[in-house]
Amino acid sequence: MQTTTVPALDVANVSFSITSTEVHAAREQSWYASTPYGVAVLRYDEMSRLLKHPNLRQGSVAWPAHNGVVEGPFARWWASWILNKEGPDHHRLRRLMNPAFSPKLIGGLVPRFQSLAGELIDGFAHSDQCEFVSEFAEPYAARVIAIMLGLPEHEWPTVARASATIGLAMGVTIREDLPQIEEALNCLYEYADALIADRRADPREDFVTTLVNASRPEDGRLSDTELRDGLVLLIFGGFDTTRNQLGLAVQTFSAHLDQWELLARRPELGKSAVEEVMRVNPTVRWVTREVRDDFEFEGLELAAGTTIHLYSESAGTDPRVFSGGFDITAERKPHFGFGGGAHHCLGHFVARSDMSEALPLLARRMRDIRLLPGDSWLPDSGNTAPIRLPVGFTPGA
Amino acid sequence: MKVTVDMNVCQDHGQCAIAAPDVFQISAEGKLEYIGNPDDAMREYVEEAADACPVQAITVDA
Repeated sequence: MQTTTVPALDVANVSFSITSTEVHAAREQSWYASTPYGVAVLRYDEMSRLLKHPNLRQGSVAWPAHNGVVEGPFARWWASWILNKEGPDHHRLRRLMNPAFSPKLIGGLVPRFQSLAGELIDGFAHSDQCEFVSEFAEPYAARVIAIMLGLPEHEWPTVARASATIGLAMGVTIREDLPQIEEALNCLYEYADALIADRRADPREDFVTTLVNASRPEDGRLSDTELRDGLVLLIFGGFDTTRNQLGLAVQTFSAHLDQWELLARRPELGKSAVEEVMRVNPTVRWVTREVRDDFEFEGLELAAGTTIHLYSESAGTDPRVFSGGFDITAERKPHFGFGGGAHHCLGHFVARSDMSEALPLLARRMRDIRLLPGDSWLPDSGNTAPIRLPVGFTPGA
Repeated sequence: MKVTVDMNVCQDHGQCAIAAPDVFQISAEGKLEYIGNPDDAMREYVEEAADACPVQAITVDA
């Protein structure tokens, strides 16, 4: 019965927009849609329940294979991701990595985030325009991860270039981009190997040294392969999503200048600005789950192995739950921009903190932002973002 | 020791159950269950759990 009314979304098509009126209309028709990958969940309540549903596991593990990528360095690295592990292996890796991103540690870094943001804005604020991605989002995201991991900050262009290329793997063009993705991956492996060798020879009081020590045979909590795979993931994951989300924030605020002005006047709204942007314009457009064993959910039979994509923007703008449009002063239910459950984003305290410092400073120094011609974008699915985002503004004090 | 979880804030992500499985558990229905007065020997793990909670809903008292 249901199959006759279930919308079908052509989301594997590179030009398909996951935030289009077509998706929003489908959401009004049904809580889910069919896609070439499996099932897409479109409403807030269903996404909330399925995000942490015990019958589902994290589903990204199948993404390369869905796109015909089944072997080689990238497929092996992807399989190593903590995101793609379950059970005891996942828990062991998670507990090793958590301390690097603890909220206590991050509170002490706020002044560094502020001065970094100020330094980068000083670099272009004498003008009345900038290319926001290369002049702010990339160096900011890359240097924050350098600060977190104790990497030399001046090496940020290496980190940024390689990570941005690897980020193409999160999109529907993964297969055609694979050669450059693997080249970039190799670059980050070399980077990680040098870092590991450095900390083995010259231990420091830092997180990388802690991980290197956990890989010593007498410790045994981490294998050598897990160490280098994990470091590459931390570098990539720390950079890519933050760069993306900052670009998307500017896009959203450029359409809501009253809110941008408000943020400039009231920097304490930085935290809620981050949450509100991630509700309506999250870089992680879908969160992936896979059915463990057959079960029924809201009248839909879900067979073991089915991929379920939970659409974060569609859920975050579901009119059943949210009203009043984009408003950084509103009290809202939680968005799903950081995923949820056992695989909840590891670095969310850093991302929340660094973006909530950056956005009010940007709002104060870049008044009346407007998007200029010359922008280019990743596909509006998977993990999305502007690749280039020329922005005009009136310099502020 | 005394452990309190603000159930109005808790979103049942279960990070605490990864850090301190003897104190925090996610039920078969996906809901958090926890021991409010665990043995003091658990302190290290409980503090790790409080730190890891994405919504910072866990309070640990002496």
